[in-house]
Amino acid sequence: MTNFHIPDDALISVEKLQMHFPIKKGFLGRELGAVKAVDDVSFYIRKGETLGIVGESGSGKSTTARALLRAYEPTGGTIRFKDPEGNWHDLTHKSEAEMRQLRQYMQMIFQDPYASLNPRMTLLQLVSEPLVNNGITNKSELEDRVADLLIKVGLRPENMTRYPHAFSGGQRQRIGIARALALNPTFIAADESVSALDVSIAAQTINLLQDLQEQMGLTYLFITHDLSMVEHISDRIGVMYAGRLVEVADTASFFEQPLHPYSEALLSAIPIPDPKRARAKKRGLVKGEVADPANLPVGCAFASRCPHASELCHMSNPELTETAEGRFVRCHHSADLKLQGANYDQ
Amino acid sequence: MQDETILEINDLNICFEMREGTVNAVNGVTFSVKPGEVLGIVGESGSGKSLSARSIMNLLPRNATVTNGSVKFRKNDGEVVDILAEKRESRKMRELRGGHIGMIFQEPMTALSPVHSIGKQIMTTLNLHTDLSKKAQVERAADLLAMVQMPKPMEMLKKYPHQLSGGMRQRAMIAMALSCNPSLLLADEPTTALDVTTEAQILDLIMSLQDELNMAVIFITHNFGVVAEIADRVSVMYLGNAVETASVDDIFYHPKHPYTRALLQSIPRLDGQKRRRLQTIEGMVPDPFNLPTGCVFHTRCAEKMAGKCTSQIPELTHFENDQMARCHLHQA
Repeated sequence: MTNFHIPDDALISVEKLQMHFPIKKGFLGRELGAVKAVDDVSFYIRKGETLGIVGESGSGKSTTARALLRAYEPTGGTIRFKDPEGNWHDLTHKSEAEMRQLRQYMQMIFQDPYASLNPRMTLLQLVSEPLVNNGITNKSELEDRVADLLIKVGLRPENMTRYPHAFSGGQRQRIGIARALALNPTFIAADESVSALDVSIAAQTINLLQDLQEQMGLTYLFITHDLSMVEHISDRIGVMYAGRLVEVADTASFFEQPLHPYSEALLSAIPIPDPKRARAKKRGLVKGEVADPANLPVGCAFASRCPHASELCHMSNPELTETAEGRFVRCHHSADLKLQGANYDQ
Repeated sequence: MQDETILEINDLNICFEMREGTVNAVNGVTFSVKPGEVLGIVGESGSGKSLSARSIMNLLPRNATVTNGSVKFRKNDGEVVDILAEKRESRKMRELRGGHIGMIFQEPMTALSPVHSIGKQIMTTLNLHTDLSKKAQVERAADLLAMVQMPKPMEMLKKYPHQLSGGMRQRAMIAMALSCNPSLLLADEPTTALDVTTEAQILDLIMSLQDELNMAVIFITHNFGVVAEIADRVSVMYLGNAVETASVDDIFYHPKHPYTRALLQSIPRLDGQKRRRLQTIEGMVPDPFNLPTGCVFHTRCAEKMAGKCTSQIPELTHFENDQMARCHLHQA
C-alpha cells in the first residue's frame, strides 16, 4: 500500500505506476535496457477537481495519462477508479472488454486537433462514434444527441454533415471535446489540449473546459508544459521530472513556495508576460539538460543540475513523501531549503 | 532613411497569387530598428510576422510578390542598401546575409545541414565573409562555440547536429549566425520548440550576447512572456498589419489598439487569482482570401464604430514616446 492517505472523495488513485519501454536491438530483439518513461508515480485526483501535471518533454506526463486509461499496458503499479455508483475498480487487472465498459466514464482529449480526427468522417460520424459503440443506433436519436453535444461545445449543429478540414484548429479541438463528452464521462484527461492553439483560441477553449466542468461536475487531469496555463486551471499541481513525480501541492502553495528545487527552477524559467516583473526576476537558476530516462542516475535524477545537491542525493533516490496534508515532495533536503516561488506582488 | 536607424521597413505589401485568389499576407507594415535595440514582433499564426522578417533577408518564397514598399538596411560603413531593389542572389545580398545580418530559426534540426559537422558549417560562413586562414577559422569557430557556452568547444566542432540536443543545436546555430559580427540578428521563434528551462537559458544567452556585441535584434514570437523578457520595443501584428508598435512598457501597460488589449487579457498570468475567467476575442481570424474591408480587426473588435471601422482603413496615429497604432478610436 501507499505511504499516504487517500481521501474519501478521490475518484482516481494511482500507486507506484511504472511504465518501462524495452530498448531492443538486432534481429533477435535482445533487450538492452529500458526507457523508464514513468517510474514510481503515485497520486490521487479528487472528484470534481483539476489536477495539472507539468513537466518538460520526456518527463513522462503524457505516458502517465495514457497508462491511466490503459492505452498503454503499465509494467507495474495499480490504478484504481471509482465509477459513478461508487464502486472502486482496479484498472490494472481488467480485461479489454471490462475496460471498454469503464472507458465511457474516462475519456481523453488530445493535443493535435489535426491528427486526432479521421479526415474521412463527417462531424456526425465522429461525434456519434462513441454512442454507436455503446449501443445507441437509432438514427434520429443519434442526430439529436450529436446536436446537443455540438451546442454544448459551441459549434453549430447545421455543420454536422461537414468534414474536419472545413474547421479551424480551435473548432477541431471543440469537436474532440464533443467526442469525449458523448458518453457523459466523469473523468477527462486533457493532454496538451491547448498547446497547439493560438493565444486567443486557447483562451476560448480553456473557458469552455471550465464551463463544462461546472455544468457536468467533471474531473480533469490537465497535462501541459505551460505553467501559467496550469496555474489558471488547476486546483492542484503535480510536477514531473525524468519519469518521476517530484512534487504535488495545491496550486496556491505551490506558486507561493515550491518545495522541490526543480519546481523552483521551472518557476524561475517561465517567461512572465509583465516587463517590470520580468526585469526583477532571478535569472540563470537552471543549468544543464534534462536527464535521459533511458539512462537514469542511481540517485535523484535532478541531482546533476541541482544547486543544493549533496553526496546523499547522488547516492540514493528519495521517496515521494507527504510533508503536510496533500503536500508531497521527492527531495532529501526539502525540509532545510527555503525556495522561491513566483512573486505575485510587485 | 532616418539617421539613427539601422533598418527601416516602409509600407511593405506582400501578396501571393494562388488559384483560389490573391492572399494579401503583408499589408502596409512599417517599422524601424535602431542599432543595439531589440524589437519584438508578436502575432498569432498567419499574421505575417515571419514573412516580414524574410523580406529583410530578401528570401521571400518564390511565389510571393512585393507589391509596394521598401526595406532599407544601413551597413556599418554608412552605406544604405535598398534590399528589395537588389536581386535575390546579387553579390551585395550575399554579402549582407550572414555577414551583416545573421538569422536563427525555430527548428535548428531543419536549419542546420545534417551531413556537415558544426565546425564545418561555421567555417563555411567564415570562409565566405572573411579572409582568415584555415587555422584562424578553426580558432574563431571554437571561440564562437565557447561564446555561446558550449562545453568543450574544440570537440564540439567535430560533432554533427544529430549528436546534439535541441538546446545545443540552437546554440550552434546562434554561433553560426554571430560568426561575422552581424549588426542585426533576425530570430524567428528561436525558442518555441524548446522546453522552458532550455528556453530560459537560450533567452539569457541571446540577451547577454546582444548586450556584449551591441547588435540589433528582431525577435519574432507568439509568446507575450518572451517578449516581456527580451524586447525593448514591440510590434503587434494582426492579419498582415502592424497594428501597434511601442516600447515594451507602453505595450503592456498602456496599449492603444483594441487587439493588443484583447490579446493581453486573453493570456493567463501568474497573478494568484484563481479561476479568473479569461477574456476572449470573439470569433476567428478571418479567411486571408477574403480580408474584411476597412480595419482588418473590425470583425472581432469590441470597440468597433459602425460605418467608420467597416469601411475606412485607419491611418497610423502617433503618440508620445514613439508609440503608434492603426485605429480609428484615436483619430480626431
